[in-house]
Amino acid sequence: MLKCTFCGRKAVYNRRYAGTLLCDRCLTKSVERRFWRAVAEHKLIAPNEKIAVAVSGGKDSVVGLHLVSNYCKNKNCEVAAITIDEGIKGYRDHSLPVAKKNAEELGVEHLIVSFKNAYGVTLDEIVKLAKKKKSRQHPCTYCGVMRRSLLNKAARELGADKLATAHNLDDEAQAIMLNYVRGDFSRLHRLGSIYSPREGFVPRIKPMREIPEKEIALYALLKNIDVHLAVCPYTGGIHTEIRDFLNDFEVKHPNTKFMIVRMFDRMKPHLTGAMPEFEMRRCNFCGEPTSTSVCKACELLVQLGLKQ
Amino acid sequence: MKKIVVTVKLYGQKKTKIIKLTQGTKIADMLKQLNYNPDVVAVRCNKKIVPEEERLANGDIIEIIPIVTGG
Repeated sequence: MLKCTFCGRKAVYNRRYAGTLLCDRCLTKSVERRFWRAVAEHKLIAPNEKIAVAVSGGKDSVVGLHLVSNYCKNKNCEVAAITIDEGIKGYRDHSLPVAKKNAEELGVEHLIVSFKNAYGVTLDEIVKLAKKKKSRQHPCTYCGVMRRSLLNKAARELGADKLATAHNLDDEAQAIMLNYVRGDFSRLHRLGSIYSPREGFVPRIKPMREIPEKEIALYALLKNIDVHLAVCPYTGGIHTEIRDFLNDFEVKHPNTKFMIVRMFDRMKPHLTGAMPEFEMRRCNFCGEPTSTSVCKACELLVQLGLKQ
Repeated sequence: MKKIVVTVKLYGQKKTKIIKLTQGTKIADMLKQLNYNPDVVAVRCNKKIVPEEERLANGDIIEIIPIVTGG
């Protein structure tokens, strides 16, 4: 039996990037400590704030809701959960009840916003239409843009001071590499623990950014937290290729993901000011804040002929 | 070399697979044989979460839980 490096109890996890073995207790405590440390170090949550948490029902967001909720109990903050129902048959309809159940158990206000109600179409319908129109956009582009827009709108309507998302270490390393590969400086410089754009946008925080995806999954399993473990049917494209590459690389060279994120964090202060200032405007179609005359969500809907 | 037999199942699925391995095989070696990256799965051995460096014993029941989910 392998033993925990710290307390000698039965090990459940080999943290290869640190060269340590951890038992259930030491692993879950370590995950919680990293969350608290990120919140304190980057000043992500202030006392008496209202924090909206984006919750899909998947392991990351559900664990995120539990961690934010526990933190807020101690800091006199209010928590609300927001779930976006994109309308992905056989996937989101299975994760929604999980999000709902967790929010109920934690006694957290829960707002569900659907693509169908907001845009008149589900993501499944958008994907079909995009195929018909021979669009080169990946389903994740429609989903990501529209989901972010609805999350911001919902958080603003709830009166939230911050919007917490469950991006983990793997997500962040992937996003950094993806933006390098694409040469997308604009998106790259927005990455980090906190992104506070301008008026109309609720500041987005990522308190789980330094926790590896596997440790979050183990946290959920060890704490018996009900999560939806399934892969989105639309997963694919360059994002998946980068994810697989990084996972293979991490096995051969443990600590790669941390190094990518830490190196980026060291470079980030030097990127500030490199992007030209832009004038904040309102979308001609939906009135949401945007840097151009039409927001990205409406632009995609126009391309599909769903808005004129 | 003495052989052992373990039962492997994938999380959420009823189907199981019986595989023969050399005694002393680690879970990590078994995952490699089955083409799983240890970074993207969690493993339960006889219903308990275990590290991949744990050695398998004859009759063990292994559950592989894919943890890279979402979109």
